[in-house]
Amino acid sequence: MSQFKEAMLKVTENDVYKRWLKTAWPYLTGAVLLSLFQIVTLATTSNPWGVSGVFANWGAWIYEGLGGSVDKWYYFSSEGAQATLNNGFLNHPGTWRNIGIILGALIAVLLASQFKIKKIKSKKQVVAAILGGTMMGYGARIAFGCNIGALFSGIASLSLSGWVFGIAMFFGAMVGSKLLVKFFM
Amino acid sequence: MNEVVIDCLGEACPVPLVKAQNKLKELAVGDILIVQIDHSCAMKNVPEWAREDGHNVEVEEVDDGEWEVIIEKVK
Repeated sequence: MSQFKEAMLKVTENDVYKRWLKTAWPYLTGAVLLSLFQIVTLATTSNPWGVSGVFANWGAWIYEGLGGSVDKWYYFSSEGAQATLNNGFLNHPGTWRNIGIILGALIAVLLASQFKIKKIKSKKQVVAAILGGTMMGYGARIAFGCNIGALFSGIASLSLSGWVFGIAMFFGAMVGSKLLVKFFM
Repeated sequence: MNEVVIDCLGEACPVPLVKAQNKLKELAVGDILIVQIDHSCAMKNVPEWAREDGHNVEVEEVDDGEWEVIIEKVK
């Protein structure tokens, strides 16, 4: 056995590696860390944590990059939204946070050596992903927040809207589960 | 004793769990059900359900990001 392979085998058998990098952390640990970091986010950026709103900005920057203008769009018409867009892609905290989420997830899965490019099993999956993604994105913008911005940050800010969002999401998920069983079983 | 394999590779939660539950119902006591998965949350919820139901469960990591949940139906 080559030395490299031997060393790698030693690492994968190591208890610290197994506990911290290989095995999934308990939900409770995740919950505590998410709570702590959303406080850090609010304190450092003066805005509650949000994820999907950033994608709307990315869309606007791409559209503007292609020569379009979103000045007249209702969603971007407020002074705050215009200031954010004029400030640019690289000066937007949410942009860096979302890039961090994607990179962090990639690093975590590589360290656990669980990276895999999954195959698409059927056309149904493609249709469901596109339909679902569009509806979630559209819904999140209409509601001014997704399950992070509206639900998580809403409830963390003691806002009633977060609870309303949560109840509505529960019933939406029930309908979604029925559809899932109907079309994918 | 039967051994049945269900291929849930490329399928997201909760599809592998529901498929495993439906399949196990059809099997007889002593049969083995092997659920192939590559969605890490199925690695959590499939064994959890099967253990709670009282079956013998083993999880094997067969490749990077690929697992087999082996369930022996005991009742």
